[in-house]
Amino acid sequence: MNDMRGTGVTGAAPSAFEFTGTWREFLPIAATNLLLTLVTLGFYRFWAKARERRYLWSRTRFIDDHLEWTGSGKEMFIGFILAFLILGTLGLLVFGLFILLSNIGLGWVAVLLALGAYPVSFYVVGLARFRALRYRLSRTLWHGIRGGSEDQGFRYALTSAWMTLVGAMAFFLLPWSMITLWNERWNAMSFGPHRFSAYGAAGPLLVRLLLSIGLGIGLIIVLALLAVALPFDDLFSRTDPGRDGVTGVVLLLLLPLVLLIIFAVIPIFYYAAFVREGINKLFLGDVDFGFSARTYHWLRLYAGDVLLVVGTLGLGIAFLGYRHWSFFVRHLEAYGEVDLDTLLQSETRAPRQGEGLLDALDIGAL
Amino acid sequence: MADGWLYDGQSALRHAAQVEPGADGGLRVTWEFGELTVPRSQLVHIDSRPDAEIYGHAELSGWRLGLPRPVPGDLAGLLPTSARYGGWVDRLGLGKTVAIGVAVSAVVIFGIIQIPEVAAPYVPLSWERKMGDAMMAQLGERSCRTPAGEAALKRLATSLSPDAAGIDIEVLDIPVVNAAALPGGRIVIFRELLKDAKSPDEVAGVLAHEIAHVRERHVTESLIREFGLSVIGGNAGATVTGVMSAGFTRGAEREADGEAARMLDHANISPAATAGFFKRLAEQEKRFGRVAEGLSYVSTHPLSGERQAMFESRAQKGRTYRPALTPGEWQALVGICNSRAKRLEQERGSADD
Repeated sequence: MNDMRGTGVTGAAPSAFEFTGTWREFLPIAATNLLLTLVTLGFYRFWAKARERRYLWSRTRFIDDHLEWTGSGKEMFIGFILAFLILGTLGLLVFGLFILLSNIGLGWVAVLLALGAYPVSFYVVGLARFRALRYRLSRTLWHGIRGGSEDQGFRYALTSAWMTLVGAMAFFLLPWSMITLWNERWNAMSFGPHRFSAYGAAGPLLVRLLLSIGLGIGLIIVLALLAVALPFDDLFSRTDPGRDGVTGVVLLLLLPLVLLIIFAVIPIFYYAAFVREGINKLFLGDVDFGFSARTYHWLRLYAGDVLLVVGTLGLGIAFLGYRHWSFFVRHLEAYGEVDLDTLLQSETRAPRQGEGLLDALDIGAL
Repeated sequence: MADGWLYDGQSALRHAAQVEPGADGGLRVTWEFGELTVPRSQLVHIDSRPDAEIYGHAELSGWRLGLPRPVPGDLAGLLPTSARYGGWVDRLGLGKTVAIGVAVSAVVIFGIIQIPEVAAPYVPLSWERKMGDAMMAQLGERSCRTPAGEAALKRLATSLSPDAAGIDIEVLDIPVVNAAALPGGRIVIFRELLKDAKSPDEVAGVLAHEIAHVRERHVTESLIREFGLSVIGGNAGATVTGVMSAGFTRGAEREADGEAARMLDHANISPAATAGFFKRLAEQEKRFGRVAEGLSYVSTHPLSGERQAMFESRAQKGRTYRPALTPGEWQALVGICNSRAKRLEQERGSADD
């Protein structure tokens, strides 16, 4: 076997990342995961996720060796239970206080309390995102080296709370809020001794956002013009006034398509640009990451998801994790050099529980 | 003996390593910087890749030993096998786990179905009262009161069920055709239901239904059930929860309907009028669909057509029933919210001055 001491390994074309899994190999894992999750009323899902990741990571090659997922189902289960207890207690407390306050005639305080719950929930979501990323890096092994973060994420969660609020209130600040949070999250992470550095910019994203919104408005205007300006009996046949309603029917059939474009295609158009900007401006040591998926690829991914799940009457859900990971790896690129001599073990403290908060809140990571 | 590779968990360097049987059934690993004999108990199987088997060390994090496949026979016996589904499933085997899982799930689901019914009578009424009081605190200012109206309502309730004297029944000035049983043995009737009713007999049927809910402690049951179902987590859980709790609601409604019919029979009030009430509701359902506003009675209760048939079948031909209330009492009840409306108008008027 090669000893790479003293030499670096270089990310070569076509990509330093490669997904080597096959759906045939994954099928038994997916099937048994689904079965065990069902018969345990959902309790197996933490172990199922660990098994799935163990497979996906082990079939992901970076330069000369595969990744490894070292997380366990047990730690994710414990993380979930802890988060469930904390959030549950907090929720009951707020609810009880709300009832109490409105009963003793302090209704306005109760309303303030309810309003105050929003930023608090943004804080918790921010904390969950941060910790999930830290957890995932700490359980990802390459050449025996893992990642992690020194940071607990509390300060990030605070930033996340007010930035999400601002981004939600003024749409043109959304790109700035999203990419700043992305940068801040990644800048706190490390792999081995190296810190990640992320400096995605809001400018190009704002352009993309305005373009998306313009596209949506333009589409609505075109449709409205089509509905108003064209006399119904003119579009299809001047000679047959009996078919007046045809244009109306066509427009009605177009409506779902337009709604699909406005609520699915256009958000993806923006999101694809966001993920590219985020990953393209992400560095680790001398390695520069890149992401090549464009709107078209994302649309194909999601359309495939829908077809798969509908076509298998829901059983295909067990394959979504596989599809999304392989999509992610296939479009992930890395350039530059890894110096194995200096890539030493991470000295960050590895978290003991899994991404419980994220699980308890039922949100995705990316 | 085999040639493999080693990551020591300290740096990312990949070392060529020689692996052979060591002392005490352990594995002797030799590489350029040293050697280590790993006891069998410390060796962990990490992964089977198409080209290699990967092993780890229980106490050295990041320590990884790779052996190209196939692993030579003299080593194979020394190496641990892989965990597949997770510790406890592997110990039992997939088939047994699934069987046990199905059995336990069945018991849990059965428990969720049965426990609320068994446990509801043991929940102290005082707890429930507090919850009911909290709910009424929000609605209390909308309650309609006139001495004559309240007296009529009380007589109607006690004629249906002697123990109804302990139930707090109120009419609320809310424009909805509905009635509800609240926690803590309380019943609320909404204004429009009285206006919509053609006779006191119809109101008697609805009131008997709610009294049955209170008697059977259905509200307590559903509170316990919702809590029990909420423990089953995850997305799949949510779907199951929704379907199951809707099913139980329907079941409880049917039970309450049956008991209401018995109460009417006992009080010698005709169930035909109640059937008529549901007939009108069924017609409205057809006309407006089930989502129509103000018809909230529909969404929380079984299909009206079915209920109409049940009450109709209970009416005995040739039997002379008595009216549920005298005309005077009925007028007092229907008009119970009028004085509140007038008072509000006056207040508004004086505020304008």
